[in-house]
Amino acid sequence: MPYRLLKFALSKKHPEPPFFQQPEQLKSSYDAVIIGGGGHGLAAAYYLAKEHGITNVAVLERGYLGGGNTGRNTTIIRSNYLTPEGVAFYDASVKIWENLSQELDLNLFYSNRGHFTLAHTESAMRTMRWRAEVNKHHGVNSEVVGPYDVKRAVPEIDLSCGGHAPILGALYHAPGSVARHDAVAWGYGRAASNMGVEIFQNTEVTGLDIQNGRIVGVQTSRGNIKTGKVLSAVAGFTPRITQMAGFRTPIVIHPLQACVTEPMKPWLDTILVSGSLHVYVSQSSRGELVMGASLDPYEIHSTRSTLDFVEGLSSHILDMFPFLSGIKVVRQWAGMADMTPDFAPVMGKTPVEGFYLDAGWGTWGFKATPISGKAMAATLANDKPHELIHAFRLSRFAEFELTGEKGAAAVGH
Amino acid sequence: MRLPQQPGEWIKRGSRVTFSFEGKTYSAIEGDTVTSALWAAGEKILGRSFKYHRPRGILSLANHDINVMMENGTDINMRADVLPVTEGMALKAVNTGGGVARDYYSVLGWLAPFLPVGFYYKVFHNPKVLFPFWERVIRRMAGLGVMNPKAPRAVSSKANLHCDVLVVGAGPAGLSAALTAARQGARVILTDENAQLGGTLSYDHAGSGEALTLLEKLNAEVAAQPNIQVHLSSYAAGWYTDNFVPLVGPQGMSKVRAGKVIVAGGAFEQPAVFRNNDLPGVMLGSAAQRLIHRYAVKPFQRAVVLAGNDQAYRVAQDLIAAGVELAAIVDLRLDGKGSALGDTSVYSGYCIEEAIGGACVEGVRICPWDGQGNADLSRAIFISCDGVALSVGWAPAAALLYQAGSKMRFDDAIQQFVPEHLPPGVFAAGRINGIYGLQECLADGERAANEALGVTPSPQPSLPVREGASHPWPIVEHPKAKNFLDFDEDLQLKDFANAAQESFDNIELMKRFTTVGMGPSQGKHSNMNAIRVLARLRGEPIAKVGSTTARPFFHPVPLGHLAGRTFHPERHTPLHGWHEAHGASFTTLGVWQRPAYYGRDKAAAIAAEASAVRSAAGMIDVGTLGKFEVRGPQAGEFLERFYTGHFLRQRVGSTRYALLLDESGVIVDDGVVARFAEDFYYVTASTSNAAAVYREMTRRLQTWGLDATIVNLTGSYGALNIAGPKSAEILRGLMPIDLATLANGGAIENEVAGLAARIINVRFVAELAYEIHAPAQAIKHIWQALFEAGHAIGIKPFGTDTQRLLRLEMGHFIVGHDTDGLTQPLEVGLNWALANDKTFYIGQRSLQIQARKPLAKRLVGFALEAGAHPLPEECCLVIRDGNIAGRITSIAHSPTLDKVIGLAYVMPQDAAPGSCFSIRGQDGIEVSAKVVAMPFLELTS
Amino acid sequence: MKLLNCPINGLRPVDEFAYGGELRAQPDPQTCTDEEWADYVFHRNGAPGLKQECWYHVPSGTWFIAERNTTTDSVERTYLWGEA
Repeated sequence: MPYRLLKFALSKKHPEPPFFQQPEQLKSSYDAVIIGGGGHGLAAAYYLAKEHGITNVAVLERGYLGGGNTGRNTTIIRSNYLTPEGVAFYDASVKIWENLSQELDLNLFYSNRGHFTLAHTESAMRTMRWRAEVNKHHGVNSEVVGPYDVKRAVPEIDLSCGGHAPILGALYHAPGSVARHDAVAWGYGRAASNMGVEIFQNTEVTGLDIQNGRIVGVQTSRGNIKTGKVLSAVAGFTPRITQMAGFRTPIVIHPLQACVTEPMKPWLDTILVSGSLHVYVSQSSRGELVMGASLDPYEIHSTRSTLDFVEGLSSHILDMFPFLSGIKVVRQWAGMADMTPDFAPVMGKTPVEGFYLDAGWGTWGFKATPISGKAMAATLANDKPHELIHAFRLSRFAEFELTGEKGAAAVGH
Repeated sequence: MRLPQQPGEWIKRGSRVTFSFEGKTYSAIEGDTVTSALWAAGEKILGRSFKYHRPRGILSLANHDINVMMENGTDINMRADVLPVTEGMALKAVNTGGGVARDYYSVLGWLAPFLPVGFYYKVFHNPKVLFPFWERVIRRMAGLGVMNPKAPRAVSSKANLHCDVLVVGAGPAGLSAALTAARQGARVILTDENAQLGGTLSYDHAGSGEALTLLEKLNAEVAAQPNIQVHLSSYAAGWYTDNFVPLVGPQGMSKVRAGKVIVAGGAFEQPAVFRNNDLPGVMLGSAAQRLIHRYAVKPFQRAVVLAGNDQAYRVAQDLIAAGVELAAIVDLRLDGKGSALGDTSVYSGYCIEEAIGGACVEGVRICPWDGQGNADLSRAIFISCDGVALSVGWAPAAALLYQAGSKMRFDDAIQQFVPEHLPPGVFAAGRINGIYGLQECLADGERAANEALGVTPSPQPSLPVREGASHPWPIVEHPKAKNFLDFDEDLQLKDFANAAQESFDNIELMKRFTTVGMGPSQGKHSNMNAIRVLARLRGEPIAKVGSTTARPFFHPVPLGHLAGRTFHPERHTPLHGWHEAHGASFTTLGVWQRPAYYGRDKAAAIAAEASAVRSAAGMIDVGTLGKFEVRGPQAGEFLERFYTGHFLRQRVGSTRYALLLDESGVIVDDGVVARFAEDFYYVTASTSNAAAVYREMTRRLQTWGLDATIVNLTGSYGALNIAGPKSAEILRGLMPIDLATLANGGAIENEVAGLAARIINVRFVAELAYEIHAPAQAIKHIWQALFEAGHAIGIKPFGTDTQRLLRLEMGHFIVGHDTDGLTQPLEVGLNWALANDKTFYIGQRSLQIQARKPLAKRLVGFALEAGAHPLPEECCLVIRDGNIAGRITSIAHSPTLDKVIGLAYVMPQDAAPGSCFSIRGQDGIEVSAKVVAMPFLELTS
Repeated sequence: MKLLNCPINGLRPVDEFAYGGELRAQPDPQTCTDEEWADYVFHRNGAPGLKQECWYHVPSGTWFIAERNTTTDSVERTYLWGEA
């Protein structure tokens, strides 16, 4: 019984404290500076404080908290990736997610729904088998299922998909879940702030001070800071920051669009992704269908929407669910996805000493929020990459050691 | 109650329509909307609010709120305010417990003190095990209509339209703009979301005879202009790059590409905020005017008008003219007009502190106030009434302007956002610009059109101050709350202070925490007041607080309209008809249709087809392959750089293996290059990569600047492969030359069955096989001729499933099946194909770097030890010492060998023939496999 | 949708085109270091700006270069190879 609600009724004044302190001024120096006040940056701040006792930290956010991709994604959480290092990494994230609402004492609406990656061709079925076998090997609950298993979970679906791309089966991933994306940033932000981390919104980083290959300070729109450790976790703005830092990465920015329908009473209890139809859908607890599709095909540093995105998506959704033709799309938006050539992130140290990078999150970043925060905090605190992120090092490209995730991340977040 | 005929009314009195709502039957007049018909019939409780299930009636009657949302079992979330009544409609309100009249969920209203803004973030997660239960409760309570999985798919068509000027909004400014542009020869599209043209001329100004005469005149002029295309009941859903604007109407979507866009969409009237401002009977002044002038419905018996601007007095006059008893005008302005209106008392410097009533408004308590939200209760006056008309302010319908990248500024004088900077090609006119006077709007429309056409415009009228001003603070505090800002989301005034207290005190965080503007109306009636409240909470001017991003769509758009009619193209080879006639079972490869096998029983068909190829001959249609002619003095040089092998010194009349890598050294495709002349090569590529290979070829040709041309014959040529020990015998009879000249990978341009063709000796599926390429019409005859010639020998057509088995027996890998997005040639044993003595080929330099590292895996052929076990599937893993060491890429039972064979990646130390390795089947059971040298076929000898 | 000006075919909707990435100079594989080569293969100039990009008009098989501002998405000009 939510006894907490009683205090709302019984207090005359609204009894809730602020989520985070908003200091007026930047200090002149901090032990660590985190660029980016989204889920990843705030999670890193939280783990820095909680697990490493580093609390003299400033989080700098150019806009509002969680206003980047954290507030724009379609909230899917899963660990059914193709590579052993990917599975291990995302599974570690899922394990944290499962108790995160309790750990942060904020209801993140972490809802276990199950996740189907639909296969419409034999080639896709083979990839599902590959992912299932790798997942099972690592103790992650995924399996290849047949079309009737899909139908049992989603009785409303048209298995023939309009007749031209019948569903042959799917990769079923029982741990697949959704969560309330904004709340994750708020929860980590509040917990970090309570431990002394200072969060500054509307504060843009304008330059980095580097001397002899080592970071010594950060220039911002509200003043300059001295620091020896900087973490950049800014997703779509990464190339601007790495340009300031003076090193190159493979990251290019493409918009990733999404849209949402009017709310309806609940009917879709699971998460569906179709690689062939390039579409994915889940139903939020508000009752809206949250839908997305493929990445925009060319580089733009903008969150503009296009009509052809939502036209194509609508056509494919109606192939799966023809009865939805009267349901209305309310709103469409986009985020800026920082893409890498191997669909895996770039995490760890960089050519600049004391400057750490959490980037290359493309279309797969939200689910990694907890583990990336934890891993980057450890990396920054110890000046050594966390064991789970070795495969994601920036130098892997120079070493021709790309990760093999191309099959898993294509569409489906 | 229905009024006598109103000039300019939209209803057609001769024609009656019957419909039902919540099980009760009503009679409407054609032209009524569902809401106007119900209000005329005296129904006031038309819906229930989302969170507290409070009774709701009309607010805007303009689709700026969702107070009245209905479903009929097939369609859900229907906007009754603007939905025309049709005969036989059977509607009920969405999201009620037991009907709109007695919604048992309204008990949540009593629980409101326990459920402040954001409460759901604070509870339901402890204990963890109970969250799924609470989530189910929340999901059931949330959501509006109930989806019907049996609803038929409604198919609508899309139109693509072009014009010089698109005018959005057909009120006075829009009509004027459209006419101005059209008269100067522009092709104009004029669109309005209403069922008729006129905008405010059909509600705000409709009480004046002059205005109605003007409307008739404008309507006639528009009709007389052949180059104005009118779209009614159509809203501009959004603005997209390069003036691309979809218009959504009841039948479907028209996508307009406009040279210029003039946004004359007007403004949304805004509610005042006071306790119980959502009681049925409390509505916007413009809603009351719409009821009177468009639908001839008497809004109330006895009304109070809440005035925050001068327009309120027009509303008052309209009410009086409609026979409504006007009990009082309550003027929020401290320096208000003060003069009486006939018998009606005018209370200047007063506010409505509370609307009072059970299910509908029965009266209001008014008090003098300080203009800042604080009422002096000691001097409260109760006025009985059954209706309140709110006329306190407006917010511009500027979503399209925001999407186009406009900058808006807040004008303190009229208390409205107005455009400050518009991007090229986009213009604004009328109320959006803060211009409310009728004549001024007409002039502003003319100005905008002239600007759009590049004609020197008359200067923009300066913003007159009193007409159309919005009240800066139409908001009254109340300790018992229930003073609503956002009617969609049931958000009260205190929710904003609470949110700010919890740190959600900038415009975006406030929106996301409170959900203001996130309901189906997307803030049309709530964003402006939310901005005012936030500005005051922050102690900042409104200009500094800003506004949230206006995203498409202006009104929600049905998925069916967005999808339109879906087309699923299929690509057929020239032989498709023959395959169909011979019982082919087709598979889809991209958009191509290819026979997988012939017959019904897949296993039997494959066995028979394979047997034919191994013992006699078989034929497969490979017309889907990429086919390119590369000609020119530097054709050879081009191929030398593009592929990994030697082509400059390739003998005319021979073939070479063509392996294509990307710049990082990863295998992209493979095929065959035949050289037919010094300066003429013929290249094949795999079906799925054909387009990509051609694209890359043409790009490289550009960047290398070589003297060569590439012709893509993929679609215009067909091809077939005839394979098996008797294939030469069959082909010999149809060719004039000695086949011996084609031995060992020879290639020639010659004739088959009297038709010009290109013949290549290849060894993909069998030791002896020939591939024949010819123009699409010719290949049909050649296929038929070969089939007839081979009939006596037992030739059979075979499909891709059989082909996959046959090539496996030959030990050949398939790109994209046995290789993936990271496979490089050394892992597949293709060292022989890498001509590293060349100065350059694509991927060479990257392979040099990778060759220095130990190989991680190696593709090998394997056979399964004898034993009964289910066949492991492709992509099952190779396990070594409990770790993943590789995977199977191909596996099949070979009837020829009577063994299970396959290809797999194993660790290099296990790659030698004779080594054993372990495969974990999909059931978790490990089976043992042995590495075999390829081709497997030699196993039999 | 967005319009793009093919130098041969004129203004066409952007879905008729394929994006080929920024035009990049290839280092001489014979003389460059392994690091320089890997940098060319994988690293990119990801920051926003005015870029020369390879674009391909699919129906006509035309490769050309577009000078495009990757923040505003406005194309300053398009031209064929060698016409710089």
